[in-house]
Amino acid sequence: MLAYIVRRLAVAIPTILILVVISFVLMYAAPGGPFNSERPVPPEVMANLEAKYGLDQPMWRQMVTYVWDVVTRFDFGPSFQYTDRTVNDVIAQGFPVTLTYGMWSAVVAMVVGVSLGVAAAVRQNSVLDYMAVGITIGAQALPNFVMAPILVLIFTLWLGWLPGGGWNGGQWEYVIMPVIALSTSYMASIARITRSSMLEVLNSNFIRTARAKGLPMRRVILRHALKPALLPVLSYLGPAMVGMITGSVVVDIIFSTGGIGQFFVNSAFNRDYAVIMGITLLVGVLTISFNLIVDILYAWIDPKIRY
Amino acid sequence: MKLAQPDAKMLQEVGDLAEVRGRSLWADARARFFRNKAALAGLAVLIGVCLFAAFGGLIAQYERDFVDFSLMGANAYQGSPSIATGHYFGVDIDGRDLYARTVQGTRISLLVGIVGALVAVVVGTLYGATAGYIGGRVDNIMMRTVDVLMSIPFMFVLILMLVIFGRSILMLFIGIGLISWLDMARIARGQTLTLKNKEFVEAAVATGVTPLTIILRHVVPNLLGIVIVYATLLVPQMIIFESFISYLGLGVQEPNTSLGALMSLGTKQMNNGTLWMLFYPLFFFLITLFAFFFVGDGLRDALDPKDR
Repeated sequence: MLAYIVRRLAVAIPTILILVVISFVLMYAAPGGPFNSERPVPPEVMANLEAKYGLDQPMWRQMVTYVWDVVTRFDFGPSFQYTDRTVNDVIAQGFPVTLTYGMWSAVVAMVVGVSLGVAAAVRQNSVLDYMAVGITIGAQALPNFVMAPILVLIFTLWLGWLPGGGWNGGQWEYVIMPVIALSTSYMASIARITRSSMLEVLNSNFIRTARAKGLPMRRVILRHALKPALLPVLSYLGPAMVGMITGSVVVDIIFSTGGIGQFFVNSAFNRDYAVIMGITLLVGVLTISFNLIVDILYAWIDPKIRY
Repeated sequence: MKLAQPDAKMLQEVGDLAEVRGRSLWADARARFFRNKAALAGLAVLIGVCLFAAFGGLIAQYERDFVDFSLMGANAYQGSPSIATGHYFGVDIDGRDLYARTVQGTRISLLVGIVGALVAVVVGTLYGATAGYIGGRVDNIMMRTVDVLMSIPFMFVLILMLVIFGRSILMLFIGIGLISWLDMARIARGQTLTLKNKEFVEAAVATGVTPLTIILRHVVPNLLGIVIVYATLLVPQMIIFESFISYLGLGVQEPNTSLGALMSLGTKQMNNGTLWMLFYPLFFFLITLFAFFFVGDGLRDALDPKDR
């Protein structure tokens, strides 16, 4: 087990380095820099600016300096766009927001998705099953950037129940709609996966045995069927968490929640390299860690997996 | 001599049986697919959507980039959908005919989905089959590469690429091509691992066929079933992906459009009361995705050997 974890970590580190190289090369190849604007800056000022941010160095040295600072001091450097702030400040401001609604979305997607999937599987081919399948197919197809404005239209403009945007320190009224918008399609996928794996498990011999010795259905499902049926869901959680972080781009724009998605898009348009790099790296590290955690959990829970 | 008669008869019978043609995998799959009502309905809708995308422009009364200045900004009360004015789906906020734009949007969205799936089929299958067939260290390196590429947050890298190199359909296709084949490569490799120990591959090796020919002639055809299934399910993913990029304003650029771009415009005008700007593109988007889901599920039931 320990060897497996070490081996996976050994793969994770080059992955992060490749990510650094790719984004660095991309930004280096970009025409135009962060200090290009309509008003031309005098060349001396430009030279000073570039020297301050290290842009006059050759590419490999910029990259090495950057990686060194990140690894040794956890310092992502200053932001080019917000002159009085560092990338660490930007991430510290945006990431907790994304994390809050991301985590809630994960919880909602898991709980609702698994319940829906189990209910549909237990009552296979009933009205409930068809409804669940219908809902999940619809929810998978409806993009979150269409669903979010419809939510705003209904709950803010027509009913006036919820605020249409903002964050306000994460008060519950402000969290509800981002969470619904973000979690729905993952909820649908989880429900579909749960349903099909639950159907498979319910047809297996040990469930028949459990039924035959007279256990009530509820106990059979909760104690015997649920755990093996959830294994495929577990392996889907890694990609789902990553998708939720990516989806935060849309949520941030529509609800003005101020998570890292918003900062990323703004910085991409403003060529704020430092912030782009910081966020891309953060998301990359999160992606790798989620997949790692899920894989380790999987290997730990499922005795059939050989690692 | 007495036994000769029944023997001859039996031989005759066996000979007759051999005349009966066995059902091939594909004939079997076709029969199963055509029994599946949902899949057939999906296929019919899909053909309809394709016809709409290909020939819908013929009955449009306006060019897709024609701007009717008298309707610009006045579409809420003068540009509603009507047969009489020739704006079947109404007019958008800039006074352009939404019908012509929906036709074009459907065309581009389908194109994006199909290009993504094609890249996945060609690159992913060959890559996965090669890795799986050769095995050993090559396999290890090739699949670790896929692992590494999969852990990169591609949505972010693609946004970066589109901002840096300019927004064009070509760039979008490159971006989609870069990610779409990864899953397919894994699936193809997994299947190849089970195939390569089969007798027919052994026979091919024994008769001295080169590895490349074995991969192309013996392995890939046997992967086709599962590849087709996942390609069909990949198309809607790619369409959703493109719509997301278009929503950010980084995808297809004006005067061209895609369903995602149209829906994004539609959601921004929802308060204006011009709901048709959202609902017509959304309708085509949803039925296209549903159709692909159902056809993909039907194909999986028909072709995936696991589910028999």
